Amino acid sequence: MKKFIFAILAGLMVMGASAQTKEIRVLLANHPYGDLLKAAIPEFEQKTGIKVNLEQYQESQLSTKLATEFATGSSTVDVFMTRPLQEAKMFYKNGWYKPLTSYDFSDFPKNALSVVSFGSKTYTVPIVTEWQVLYYRIDLLKKAGIKVPTTLAELEAAAKKLNTPDVAGIASRGKGNAAVTQLSSYVYNYGGLYLNKGKAAFNTKEALEGVKYYGRLIGTYGPAGVTAMSWDNIMPLFQAGKVAMWTDASVFYGNIIDPTKSQVPKESVGIANVPAGPKGSHPFIVVSWGMAISNKTKNADLASQFLAWATSPEMAKRALIANITMARNSPWVDKDVLAQVNPDLVTTRAFAAKNGFPYDRPYMSAVGEARDRIGELIVESINSKGTSPTLQSTADKMAAKVNELLEDTGEYGVE
Amino acid sequence: MRRNPIAQLFFYIGVLAIALILLFPFFWMLGSSFKTQVDIIAWPPKFIWKPTLANYQRVFGEQNFLQYFLNSTIVGVSAVVGALVLGLPGAYSIARFKQKRLAIFILIARLMPGISFLLPWYIIFSRLHLMDSYVALILSHLLITLPVVVWIMSSYFEAIPRELEESAMVDGATMQRAFMSIILPISGPGIVTATTLSFIFSWNNFMFSQVLSMQKTKTLPIAVYNFVSYAEVDWGAVMAVAVAIMMPAIILTMIFQKYVVKGLTMGAMKG
Amino acid sequence: MVKTGFMERHLRVIFPLPAVTFVVVMMLFPVLYTLFLSFTNWNLTSGMPISFVGLRSYVRVFSEPRFIAAIGRTFAFTGMAMALETILGLAIALVLNREFLGKGFVKLFLLLPLVATPVAVGIVFNLFFDPTIGLANWVLSTIGLPKSEWVSNAATVLPSLVLVDVWQWTPMITLICLAGLASLPADPFESARVDGATGPQILAFITLPMLAPTILTAMILRLIDALKTFDIIFAMTSGGPGYASETLNILGFKYSFEYFKMGQASVMLVSLFIIVLASSLGIMKMRARSEG
Repeated sequence: MKKFIFAILAGLMVMGASAQTKEIRVLLANHPYGDLLKAAIPEFEQKTGIKVNLEQYQESQLSTKLATEFATGSSTVDVFMTRPLQEAKMFYKNGWYKPLTSYDFSDFPKNALSVVSFGSKTYTVPIVTEWQVLYYRIDLLKKAGIKVPTTLAELEAAAKKLNTPDVAGIASRGKGNAAVTQLSSYVYNYGGLYLNKGKAAFNTKEALEGVKYYGRLIGTYGPAGVTAMSWDNIMPLFQAGKVAMWTDASVFYGNIIDPTKSQVPKESVGIANVPAGPKGSHPFIVVSWGMAISNKTKNADLASQFLAWATSPEMAKRALIANITMARNSPWVDKDVLAQVNPDLVTTRAFAAKNGFPYDRPYMSAVGEARDRIGELIVESINSKGTSPTLQSTADKMAAKVNELLEDTGEYGVE
Repeated sequence: MRRNPIAQLFFYIGVLAIALILLFPFFWMLGSSFKTQVDIIAWPPKFIWKPTLANYQRVFGEQNFLQYFLNSTIVGVSAVVGALVLGLPGAYSIARFKQKRLAIFILIARLMPGISFLLPWYIIFSRLHLMDSYVALILSHLLITLPVVVWIMSSYFEAIPRELEESAMVDGATMQRAFMSIILPISGPGIVTATTLSFIFSWNNFMFSQVLSMQKTKTLPIAVYNFVSYAEVDWGAVMAVAVAIMMPAIILTMIFQKYVVKGLTMGAMKG
Repeated sequence: MVKTGFMERHLRVIFPLPAVTFVVVMMLFPVLYTLFLSFTNWNLTSGMPISFVGLRSYVRVFSEPRFIAAIGRTFAFTGMAMALETILGLAIALVLNREFLGKGFVKLFLLLPLVATPVAVGIVFNLFFDPTIGLANWVLSTIGLPKSEWVSNAATVLPSLVLVDVWQWTPMITLICLAGLASLPADPFESARVDGATGPQILAFITLPMLAPTILTAMILRLIDALKTFDIIFAMTSGGPGYASETLNILGFKYSFEYFKMGQASVMLVSLFIIVLASSLGIMKMRARSEG
């Protein structure tokens, strides 16, 4: 009998010991911040003895993968990067986020926390804040004798002048779904919105003006095949010197001046505010990425350790020095950091913080499909250079579809 | 028929052209896998370059390539073995008892779009908590391998003269005994055909594995796809991955060439 | 008279039983479950419970222009691919149908595209088709033709994808036709030659008619697989640009695993199932009739 008990105890101990090999499964996005974290993970492993099983995916595939896995109820994901505006509503509704009750959020701006909190709890740590900027080639503008555009009319004129068979005058995302976020500022600058009080609003006259302008601009002066391009297709073109101007999120600056990848020297890349439209300049400024813990994680403690490390002020400082625009407040007021960050990032951030809007897409659960629908409208506009006679009717049809999506998820008319 | 030397020349040029078109993508892929990024995106394209092993180092070093390889192998082998166990008796029965309807029923599995089963499998396997297990993958791949085995082996068995079993049965053996000890041992070629072909189909399968595999059971095609989208324009690494995944199937084909040809063309020859 | 045991008497049931059971469990039940789902409005991520809505999902799906367009694209892709593959495949088989040096090697080369992993093939062709650095445009510009955007342009994406499919699957038609040609009896050809028939006449009146059943079978196999083409489209364009290469299969996949609209996705899957079934039965009937 004694032998038996001893055997059981020994067995339990072995089981316990094997359960103690500390491992977590982390899913990151293919994004400048994800890359930075990936390179730093060996430090974490050494410091804590926790092994990190890392997977990295392209952003929309990450969303699909997370949803597909969480929906099965047997996912082994512990920590993951997440896009609050894309997934938060859906993930929160399905109970896939673990509420972060013991995390210190004091270093984060209030409006950043508003998109990751529901009720009184916060579910995601905001990591990256992005706002739309205009990247431009200082040398090319100088050679053509153009000032940096400050209005959309000037932007179009500049694009026309800079457009050559070799170099596209301007580039911006044209790939339907992906383009929705970049179009948003243009729409806002014409006085339009994607959603207004919980109803589709992108078929209004003002919004449609923005869509037409975007289509005209990118369709005429953009690179070949632009309707298949998101940021990961345009960036290499810019790095190869084939694009004169590019409107996209602020996070890519570090990459486009990276001498190991870019043929464009740092001195030739300028950052400016998105030019103003008839209704002012309201670039989007959003929490594009956050980090969260899976509600079903079996390694809550280890996951929290990773989360704390990955989103720490120190990591944020490191990222900002690499010109990745972070959500935390402290790095932006740190003198040493500021000395190394491109000052235009600081100024455009301040501008966006004052005048910008906190959404770059319709904020709803079924945002994936909604983006596909709005994307249809964008592609039609680009293909017809903004002149398609059916743009209004397409916009109306898509607005109806989006309203249907809102109704299906009980969000129609809800602010 | 007189062989005109000019006609012969044109003929061989034609054959060469065909061979080139067939092989060219493989050569390009192989070549690119040994090029640096700069060389790959060079315009005009470079046909002579300084080779590098860096892509392969990156791929095999960073990704869990061995694990994916192992997973594909485990799933493939299990699916093939399973298909033989289930399919050989079935194929024999179809051949000997002329069960045409049965044949069609099983072959419908080959004809139908996989996605029609994939959605319900996804839901059911999730509920059963079988998602990150080899079980789910192997079962789904069985639906690929089993029809191939039945299709090929039923033809094969039909071609075997009945006298063989009949003489054994006259001597007192049961039909199943005859099957096991007489028919099966001489079915080598057919089994090799069925095995090779169905293994290749399982190896190359993407859709089922994309949805049903999770972290531990990821198979090679998924790894390739993830790497592509993740790596965006790291073409060198992407090409190295493509080479790695196609190698086993290509090697198998080279070894078992005539069996693979037979397997692919056999069904078409059936009356 | 040997006494036959239970197993032997029921061999025709026992032997196929495992295979049949498997197919019933893994295929029949799931298909029926999909059919059931098509009558619901289940949306996995809306957080709302599943409910039976009769034909409403069908109405939603069939009135969705994207769905109709996907069906059209599926047939367009299949039609183009099959036409090209059959003609090219047959032509190549006729050319190669003789003894020549290196025939064994050529047969091996024919096999290679068939066993290449479709996903990897798609990736390689993506590089090929890249408008800026791809080899395809280099070839075009060298022979003086204008460059194309290949899969990055909605107008050229389907033909580009067809090109990839043609590269991968034409060899199968060729191999099947070669096998068929090899099995044709020699007599009709001999007597035709004795009667003084020319090459083209022999081809048109003897070879092709005798080869017809084989060609049709090859077409059936290709038709079914072409309707279901998924891997290369998913890997190369994922249905884009916009929806320009979205076939029914791809759309169904999106609705299932990206939008999680299980109810509507099931309608699409049922539709695809029926289309493939009807097409297969249709051509099989045609073939049966041609054998007379």
